[in-house]
Amino acid sequence: MSRVWGEDAAVLAAAGADVAGLTALEDAILDGLALPDGPRWDAHTHLGTDADGHALDAARLVADMDRWGIAASVAFPANEPGPDGAFTAANDAVLAAAAGHPGRIVPFCRVAPDTGAGAAIARAAAGGARGLKLHPVAQGFAPESPECIACVRLATELGWPVLFHAGFGARRLAGPFRALLDAVPAARIILAHGARGDARAVREAFADHPGVWFDTSLAALPDLVELRPERLVFGSDRPYGDHGTGLQLVGLAAGVAGWTTAQVAGILGGTLRALLGSAR
Amino acid sequence: MTRVEAVRLVAALGAVEMALVRRDPVAGPLLAQAARAADGLAVGGLVAAAAALSRTIDLHGQTAGERAARKAAQALCRAAAQRCQAVALT
Repeated sequence: MSRVWGEDAAVLAAAGADVAGLTALEDAILDGLALPDGPRWDAHTHLGTDADGHALDAARLVADMDRWGIAASVAFPANEPGPDGAFTAANDAVLAAAAGHPGRIVPFCRVAPDTGAGAAIARAAAGGARGLKLHPVAQGFAPESPECIACVRLATELGWPVLFHAGFGARRLAGPFRALLDAVPAARIILAHGARGDARAVREAFADHPGVWFDTSLAALPDLVELRPERLVFGSDRPYGDHGTGLQLVGLAAGVAGWTTAQVAGILGGTLRALLGSAR
Repeated sequence: MTRVEAVRLVAALGAVEMALVRRDPVAGPLLAQAARAADGLAVGGLVAAAAALSRTIDLHGQTAGERAARKAAQALCRAAAQRCQAVALT
């Protein structure tokens, strides 16, 4: 299955795209990556079919990972809550994908905090999930709500990190996440997209917080270079983002910020592995 | 690429990104404008390829090919925008 810029090459060709030209441009990205050797881990991918049409299955994700040298990817459902609203089928599908690709896909579960979340987390934990994904915008809840706090508390008791969407959205983020962390001080949260939804305020509030990390998926370069590299984990946000620009972003940010090779290696895998390694 | 050229493109590509996400027909003209701004610069090929997609394929459409082309155009513009941001910040 040939893919280019994250999309199926045959589909693009059938639509009339110059696939050879697109491939050459993407190959130049791959060849130009100034990144250290070593295993790359991706903190942010989705499997399934989103309500907005984005779709990715495990076979295509692993094919993309192979092309871009990604050893393992955290995966969780797309915005696909299903008829019960609790992501039951979607979480089961992610767990099955992880079982079918051992060592390559690290399953996180996704829940709607106000819809059977406790049972959904317990079911996913029993099935081998290793973390939780929460999307305050798509599921329409506040990070500081009692329902969300309960989910984060439960995940923390399981030893799980919790990855939050922190990209586009209307609400402020720093205050709500401060309230959440005050309620669950032991929580370890990853704010996706470099917290670009409220980057300046979040950086001022959490840049040195021991329980807060930031993923680089679809982040803005100016936001990343103002964060400490030890708090960053690489993410692609497949299938909304693509691996090529995700990796290029880390390389460019490293050049602008002057990160060391060891710091970049941490962003590309070491920091996430440590986060996941302490999950029970 | 000068910083001025980079900042000009960051602004142009930001508008393109939002138009593509919102499937707004203004994406095509905005891409053409961005491609002119990028012509001859290091990121010119990326932006030109995205503009070519907009001329060839309906980027607001809902077929599999149209969706894939829209996502590819977004990725091309993202690649170019990142490089321009790096120039602007260096």
